[in-house]
Amino acid sequence: MAATLEAEYAFGAEDLESRAKVVKFAVFQRHEQQRAAQEHELASFEATMLPHLDAAHNLARWLMRNEQDAQDVVQEAYLRAFKSFSGFHGSNGRGWLLTIVRNTSYTLLKKNRAADLTTTFDEEIHASGRESVSPAAMLEHAEDAELIKNAMNALPAEFREILTLRHQEELSYHEIGEILKIPTGTVMSRLARARTKLREYLTSQTTQEK
Amino acid sequence: MNCQENKNLMDAYLDGELDPVTSQKVEQHLGDCRKCEQAYEVETAMAHAISQAAPYYKAPPEVRERIQVSLREAIGVPTNRGATEDDSLPVRRPRAVRRGVFFDMPWNRLALAAAIVLAAIVASSFLPRLRQSGADQLLATQLIASHVRSLMADHLTDVASSDQHTVKPWLDVKLDFAAPVLDLSADGFPLVGGRLDYLDNHSAAALVYQRRKHFINLFIWPTTPADTKARETVTREGYNLLHWIEGDFTYWAVSDVSVSDLQNFKRSFEQQIPPH
Repeated sequence: MAATLEAEYAFGAEDLESRAKVVKFAVFQRHEQQRAAQEHELASFEATMLPHLDAAHNLARWLMRNEQDAQDVVQEAYLRAFKSFSGFHGSNGRGWLLTIVRNTSYTLLKKNRAADLTTTFDEEIHASGRESVSPAAMLEHAEDAELIKNAMNALPAEFREILTLRHQEELSYHEIGEILKIPTGTVMSRLARARTKLREYLTSQTTQEK
Repeated sequence: MNCQENKNLMDAYLDGELDPVTSQKVEQHLGDCRKCEQAYEVETAMAHAISQAAPYYKAPPEVRERIQVSLREAIGVPTNRGATEDDSLPVRRPRAVRRGVFFDMPWNRLALAAAIVLAAIVASSFLPRLRQSGADQLLATQLIASHVRSLMADHLTDVASSDQHTVKPWLDVKLDFAAPVLDLSADGFPLVGGRLDYLDNHSAAALVYQRRKHFINLFIWPTTPADTKARETVTREGYNLLHWIEGDFTYWAVSDVSVSDLQNFKRSFEQQIPPH
């Protein structure tokens, strides 16, 4: 290790240098060691977290609904994650990172447009939706990427994120619950409501077309 | 199981979150009830639509680079983004890209580079007037390569000290010449340490100085006849090189700071050098 070599050198330097200079050198050395430790931590952080960059970006992109904000969120989230990386001991790096991405997104969403966060979900429509569209019609729409994208973007943030986590990241209810800080039962009911809402949007599009 | 119970469990069934016994009950109901089966098909189509048709936004490559640069800035590792206004660099590439030049270069590009070098050698042997500038280019390439390598983790210095009386004896023992080592912190160029290098077929002393958040590598070796013909300044790949000969030694300063900064550095160095 470089530190060992430096330590050996510090020993050798005593012949040449006065005591004060050796002390100065030792202080400098400690600074260098701290920096080496930081660089080591950074390397470990990048190896653990950079593989989840696409997942982080995808979640931020769906939450923020525009590319520039998504990139800002992801960059900020990685900085925050690095600062608290010493507190990460688990094996689920993706879940840990996505939690931070989500928190960062909400901070910005709250600042930018508070209205976006309020769920304007009408429970009354819930009962009417499920049987009204035929599977054939739904399957037809399933191939329309643009329509699905618009439908997703029309949903409130809490539905966008839960659909992304479940269907794009394919996380379990338990993992989703940990990220969203809600019980597994709530994950299930919120997912059901999100799907219902999405179906309603698609149905309304079908009605408009006809 | 009735239809309402089935409806409540359908999402969990779809997501594979039910225990095997309940799961089987739902399955059985779906087999018996046409209405619920249709609803389930809609649900499946929806789930499929989100996972297949909705766009998955992968991060553009520049996001990764920006993150890596900002993380390095957070721990105080120098990057080109910290450059100030008076740095007139034509290109500012992030550190992550610079690292990649040596390790991640695809083989076909290496082959292309080799072909170009070969062509340059052949051309220079036929055109003697070009030979000197070809040698200059090769030296410049070596100097920049050494500078870039030194900025990679743990390669900056062999002897890390801001004390010229620590660095100089260390280098004197290792080299067959006594290179001048000066601390220029009074002029804004603190000494960071020293390193051994091998350039242009002879060993060289490399002194590392800091300019704000940037590093300057000063390469020193005893002057050879070829050194007297080299140009004073070279700018390549965003790096500036400044060359001068003083006493018995040839100096090359390499950095991403501006040429005027390098000239100040040279002036400061020459003013403090002990007279012969």
